[in-house]
Amino acid sequence: MSAVERHRNILDFTLASLMRRKGKNSALIVVYTLVVFVLASALFFTQAIRREAGLVLTDAPELVVQRLVAGRHDLIPTAYLEKIRDIRGVTGARSRLWGYYYDATVGANYTLEVPLEAPPPEGSVIVGEGLARTSGAAVDSLMPFRTTRGEITTFAVSKILPSDSSLVSADLVLLSEKDFREMFGVDRAHATDLAVTVRNKKEIPVIARKIAEALPDTRTISRDEILRTYDAVFSWRGGIMLALLAGAVLAFVIFAWDRAAGLSAEERKEIGILKAIGWETSDVLLMKFWEGVAVSLTAFLLGIVAAYVHVFFASAGLFEPVLKGWSVLYPRFRLVPFIDFPQVAALFFLTVVPYTVATVIPSWRAATVDPDAVMRG
Amino acid sequence: MIDLQDIQKTFNKGRPNEYVAVRRVSLKVEPQLVTVLKGPSGSGKTTLLSLLGCMTRPTSGRIFLDGREITSLPERFLTEIRRRTYGFIFQQFNLVKGITVLENVMLPAYPTGERRAVLRDRAMELLELFSMAHKAPSKVEWLSGGESQRVAIARALINDPGYVIADEPTAHLDTALSREFMEIVATLKGRGKTIVMASHDPIVCSEGLVDRIVEVRDGSLVSDGPHR
Amino acid sequence: MTPFLPRRSTLYLTFVALSLLVLAGLFMNGARRVAASGPRLAEERRQVRAYGLTDLVLFTDARYTRHPSMADRNAPFQDYPQALEHFPSGSLMPPPPHVRFHERR
Repeated sequence: MSAVERHRNILDFTLASLMRRKGKNSALIVVYTLVVFVLASALFFTQAIRREAGLVLTDAPELVVQRLVAGRHDLIPTAYLEKIRDIRGVTGARSRLWGYYYDATVGANYTLEVPLEAPPPEGSVIVGEGLARTSGAAVDSLMPFRTTRGEITTFAVSKILPSDSSLVSADLVLLSEKDFREMFGVDRAHATDLAVTVRNKKEIPVIARKIAEALPDTRTISRDEILRTYDAVFSWRGGIMLALLAGAVLAFVIFAWDRAAGLSAEERKEIGILKAIGWETSDVLLMKFWEGVAVSLTAFLLGIVAAYVHVFFASAGLFEPVLKGWSVLYPRFRLVPFIDFPQVAALFFLTVVPYTVATVIPSWRAATVDPDAVMRG
Repeated sequence: MIDLQDIQKTFNKGRPNEYVAVRRVSLKVEPQLVTVLKGPSGSGKTTLLSLLGCMTRPTSGRIFLDGREITSLPERFLTEIRRRTYGFIFQQFNLVKGITVLENVMLPAYPTGERRAVLRDRAMELLELFSMAHKAPSKVEWLSGGESQRVAIARALINDPGYVIADEPTAHLDTALSREFMEIVATLKGRGKTIVMASHDPIVCSEGLVDRIVEVRDGSLVSDGPHR
Repeated sequence: MTPFLPRRSTLYLTFVALSLLVLAGLFMNGARRVAASGPRLAEERRQVRAYGLTDLVLFTDARYTRHPSMADRNAPFQDYPQALEHFPSGSLMPPPPHVRFHERR
């Protein structure tokens, strides 16, 4: 005679009754597992990206200054560098040269960039791993590019960046300043934008304001804003999560509606029988509680295990078509499994608790029938 | 002993469809005897059985079980008493479909928290007693009427109650099975159980082992006497 | 004697325990991979610093999803805010906070 045995006995019966509608209940578990799987996959995926972005982009430029012309990002005069350097608290300002190049033969977009430190020698390029994979470029092979004057120029690939770092560099083509300017026809008086370093991190907003005052045709983007971009873009309010969450919540509401609409006559009768043969109201509710737990916990466990394997072992392969979109060059990265346990706990409570409640609540009234209801027929 | 004192049971009280199922009945059920409540359908005998079995509360009056008043006990205690004291056999058998015979027999004991192995042995013993052991792993929907009833009886006995309450137990049985049922009743009586049945079946009422027949009509007792 | 299968509750609780074990194993694998990610993160940081990078390579189709933090104020919503997106990737990520008008200081 023990509480544990009572639970186990009732669980035995619950499982036996679930087995009676094997088809329906397995379908339910499969669908529910799928919902958990998709949500958990998105959760793991976005969380891992946010964490890695947060850790890696801490070394991004403290301030980026861009020039806007008629609402569009435009080349910035390098003469602005001097004006910026004159602002108190600024320790350095350098021009950044970067842009996009569409490779018509491969059909992919590359990011061309002149490194701030140690650029490759003229006539050679360093390329990202994703680019090498997509275009078939190898060390020492020649890559043709079409310049703004319509000529074909070729660069020798001197190095391919490690695939381990493809999350920041998959599509990069790193080249020398001279090559960049010649290819895109950018004269020495202009740059893509400016990277500014400051002495005191706390002064960044002040300096940003001063730059905006001194150079009214520019805007600044601080490192904090860069970091917050990834926090916001992959937060639960962001596109992917919101879309998935909305779908899942809707599915659940439909299901809960179906549940709350009432028990079947058969279920009601069964509860009556249990009451008549000596089950208490609390025993019936305990049975329903286990019914909810059995379904939702199974779905949660299966879903979350599958999601982990999917995201961190299979590189979120099922998301690939979605993330790929129209891009030909698709970064393939193995995410570092940063897991946010509070989020996992939240997912647990979001999946197991509402389902269980939705199972228990509708049977409440049925469970409080007088035990003689069965006799009265 | 179950002692009903001045019991009244009214359904839908205060509404237009109010009706009195049992009116001012006093009745003592003596232990270890077979008592039959006899009367036409709608006479209130099923309601009386429910009252005797603590399945429902009287609208007025008091019920004593072995000298203890149980009318005002909260549900928890009442269920506990009911589970230990009574075994019920329903007219429709009311077995739970889709699960095995054995599980059906054990079902009333699940909430007691008894160990399953002990429970299973006791259930098997009972099935053995009614020659149903070989059917233990079958689903109840494959049973015949007579078999279903024997399972229902085994289920009623799983918590070893002192009282067995049966509502129209022979209503769905043919003559041979009805006689078989009365043999089982004899066995139960031999084991010291108190049996209360509601029935108007002559096979039940004319049986020698019935100690007392109480006639019910329109919710009142008409005659009450020992069986001739 | 009838053959009895193991109790259903035993089977179920075993399943739950095994799943939890698998999950714990996966999380442990995760913790190990996180611990071993030092060199990779260091290399990524080195590249960010040396090349002056500002964004992750998640999408390469649209410039405002390739470099979301550098996006033009007008780029992520070509015609008007919440327009149906032209690029699939654009519908997966909203414009960053500092580009949205209403959050602009």
